[in-house]
Amino acid sequence: MNNPYLPVKAKILDIQKQTAIDYTFRLAAGLHVQSGQFVELSIPRVGEAPISVSDFGDGFIEMTIRRVGKLTNVVHELKPGEELFIRGPYGHGFPLEQFRGRHLVVAAGGTGLAPVKSVLNRYYHNPEEVKSLNLLAGFKSPADVLFAAELEKWAQKFSVTVTVDKGDENWTGNVGLITGYVQKLVLSNPAGTQVIVVGPPLMMKFTIREILGLGVPPENIWVSFERKMCCGLGKCGHCKIGDTYVCLDGPVFNYTRAGQLVD
Amino acid sequence: MDVNTKKIIKNAWRVTKERGVTCLRIRVPGGHLEVKYLDLLKEIAEKYGNGTVHLTTRQGFEIPGIQMNKIDEINQMLAPVIQGLEMELGVPVTDETAGYPAAGTRNVAACIGNRVCPFANFDTTKLAGKVEALIYPNDFHVKIAISGCPNDCIKGHLHDIGVMGMVEPVYNQQRCIGCQACVKNCRQVSTGALSFVNYKVRRDPLRCTGCGECVLKCPAAAWTRGKQSYRLVIMGRTGKKNPRLARPFLEWADETVVLQVIKNMYAYIDRHIDRSLPKEHVGYIVDRTGYPVFREEALAGVTLNPEARVAAWMDWSGYRYERTSNMV
Amino acid sequence: MGFALTTEQFDAFLAGLARDYDIYAPKRLAGKGAFSGTDLIAYAPVQSLAEIVFDRKTFYSPKEILLPISQTLFYFTEEAYREPQQQQRPVIIFLRPCDVHAVKRLDQIYLHNGDQADPYYRERREKVKFFVMECTEGFDSCFCVSMGTNRTGEYAVFLRLEADRVLCDARPEFTPALAAYGREAPFTPAFIEQNKISVKTPEKIAPAVYGHPLWSEYDSRCIACGRCNVCCPTCTCFTMQDIFYEDNPRCGERRRVWAGCMIDGFTDLAGGHSFRNKYGERMRFKALHKVYDFKKRFGDHMCVGCGRCDDVCPEYISFSRIINRLAEVSDDE
Repeated sequence: MNNPYLPVKAKILDIQKQTAIDYTFRLAAGLHVQSGQFVELSIPRVGEAPISVSDFGDGFIEMTIRRVGKLTNVVHELKPGEELFIRGPYGHGFPLEQFRGRHLVVAAGGTGLAPVKSVLNRYYHNPEEVKSLNLLAGFKSPADVLFAAELEKWAQKFSVTVTVDKGDENWTGNVGLITGYVQKLVLSNPAGTQVIVVGPPLMMKFTIREILGLGVPPENIWVSFERKMCCGLGKCGHCKIGDTYVCLDGPVFNYTRAGQLVD
Repeated sequence: MDVNTKKIIKNAWRVTKERGVTCLRIRVPGGHLEVKYLDLLKEIAEKYGNGTVHLTTRQGFEIPGIQMNKIDEINQMLAPVIQGLEMELGVPVTDETAGYPAAGTRNVAACIGNRVCPFANFDTTKLAGKVEALIYPNDFHVKIAISGCPNDCIKGHLHDIGVMGMVEPVYNQQRCIGCQACVKNCRQVSTGALSFVNYKVRRDPLRCTGCGECVLKCPAAAWTRGKQSYRLVIMGRTGKKNPRLARPFLEWADETVVLQVIKNMYAYIDRHIDRSLPKEHVGYIVDRTGYPVFREEALAGVTLNPEARVAAWMDWSGYRYERTSNMV
Repeated sequence: MGFALTTEQFDAFLAGLARDYDIYAPKRLAGKGAFSGTDLIAYAPVQSLAEIVFDRKTFYSPKEILLPISQTLFYFTEEAYREPQQQQRPVIIFLRPCDVHAVKRLDQIYLHNGDQADPYYRERREKVKFFVMECTEGFDSCFCVSMGTNRTGEYAVFLRLEADRVLCDARPEFTPALAAYGREAPFTPAFIEQNKISVKTPEKIAPAVYGHPLWSEYDSRCIACGRCNVCCPTCTCFTMQDIFYEDNPRCGERRRVWAGCMIDGFTDLAGGHSFRNKYGERMRFKALHKVYDFKKRFGDHMCVGCGRCDDVCPEYISFSRIINRLAEVSDDE
């Protein structure tokens, strides 16, 4: 039978340690992925979980995985050459066509930077596709900063603001919540600016409030939801919010819809 | 006034603090009765007593304020109660118009059981009736109480014999949704016999007390009721010498075993009681003979059901009001 | 086409069917009630008419036949995975009209939500025939008439139990078998037209309804046991479980088991975040799913008004009352 629950093997090509608990895994996989989609990642006998694809290219996908539980503990023990199981990709990604020729602001909190990494890389390589790009990335502490090398690389092509909630003696960068830096944004044309907000629920809530305060219309704001998507197929029900299934209709939503969803 | 107090006491009448005035003790095996009997008790209390009844700790009634010279008359009146609450259970009574044939073995008390209580594992009143038919009438001073579950609301742990209902929980892992309601609850209110392994529940049979809580908590009938059996705790007591909680003697024992053991206990008492004393409680007899003798005689001729387990030794614990009371 | 069969004839008819079908019907499972000395009325294999319970509602719904509580999706060996052998025989289910509608709700989720049908469900679903038990009286907690699920034409055989015979209306597939055992007799199925309880479902949910104090009552009344989810014929949620075999940890299986939105852990994310921690919020989520969200997405209400959730709630929470209160506050807002 044609069984969408059956995963396929994917060999680990490379592992990049981003922080003590966030590793980026590059897997050999010929999937057709859109930025913002997720896959169901599993280790047989251990478990399965939805993980957003942080980047992809010819014959590979990348996922940045935080060590937070049973499955990810085991995943973090794997070495290049070993295999994981994946199925997908699932869901709707970011509407890149809507960003074309527009000002784009990306506000990412913590691991929320992972699902937009491929968006940022796309515009790094094709800067002409957007009018401007402004990345605000917030982390808890300097030790939590993800994609440090990419952040430096992206900063060469567009505006990058990295902030931490709390610095340490070696941190010379910005300190403070991301919302504070959103307030300071100067948007030449709020109505013509598209915004992506991804991060923990509270960060998204307050960041969106600031973005709206800047005059950006709700329909220009895009968010990505993290929910317990057990199946990715609209069956298991865990990710349902109202009449919406995050796995089918999301995880990327326009704020006009996302704002109506009450968990 | 000439009254044979030994005789009236065995007839379930009391010698009270008021000279010439007695008090009638009514047995209610299992503590549950049809209300029709209340009419008669009311009539006796109003006509012969002082218009009150006392609810005893053992679930009987005491009707106080009765003149001793009315005993025979009231014994006659009691016939329907003795018929309905004793003889119908199978209690052998030769003359139901002569009042209660004995008072030493006390009323068999029971919690409300599964006629009402959701936690009860069986019909306690019904078993109380069977026990009553087995041991009454008898002059030996024995207290037995029956509880529907190990909560022991009837406090069988303060009795010579406490019977508690157990049920073997049967697990169908195909029906288990892994909500862990049973696991959490067992840890909270019972013995923590359940653990969650590989998304399914594992039961430690040595920890499980057969309380049935897991069956009650399961939303999916993954746990259902298997074989019903009993825990027997023995030799609990209050009293002025050496109060103590009863200790487990049998667990997972079936009804036949329980009834045989209770019967055997009476033979044991008969064999070992110190007849020089006005009365001797069975617990103090066991103190003299030692537990191994009791165990051997209580189990004599009993075929234990395969699941039944017997205490190999006893640590009676309890305490003595007077530290050297055993020094004679 | 209508038929009349004596009970003996009907038993012979069932025995004939049993050669090709597994037959499930409401059955009295002695001593299997949660409370001691009580029976459980639930779906189980039956062989004769006498075993089938007509005068009681089942505690659990027939959904467990189509959607096993615990279902192995595939086995892992050390290097490969293998799907379980699907050797499901065709199935006949005796059920009431409301439960037929409930199966349609399962179909909606498992066959039509998203662009991929669930192969495990489809495999079983395709092999199911409905034998609808006439239900004209209903039970105290039923509100199928309000939900429009009191009637159905979707059956292979429709049957009415009378004192000493069974009247049937059969689709062509089953007329030869019935003709072989019984005689033709005119029979028109009847349906319940009025329940003791009626509900009004909300037309439009205003944002204020989500935070309405109506829900906070259930923060303390509800104990989140999940019986309402488990007994509901339309609750479809499941959770994935991977297990390894203890005597060979390199082998194992992935299975899915029923999950319930009222039960702790339903929304837990690996990072520790969870949603709807208050039981009242879960009640609101469930209620809106059953009588609002599902309809918005698929056109029909999910709830079929069988009333099982009322029957099984240990805290005496009535879902039909919740629906009516929801409709009231929605009208107000």
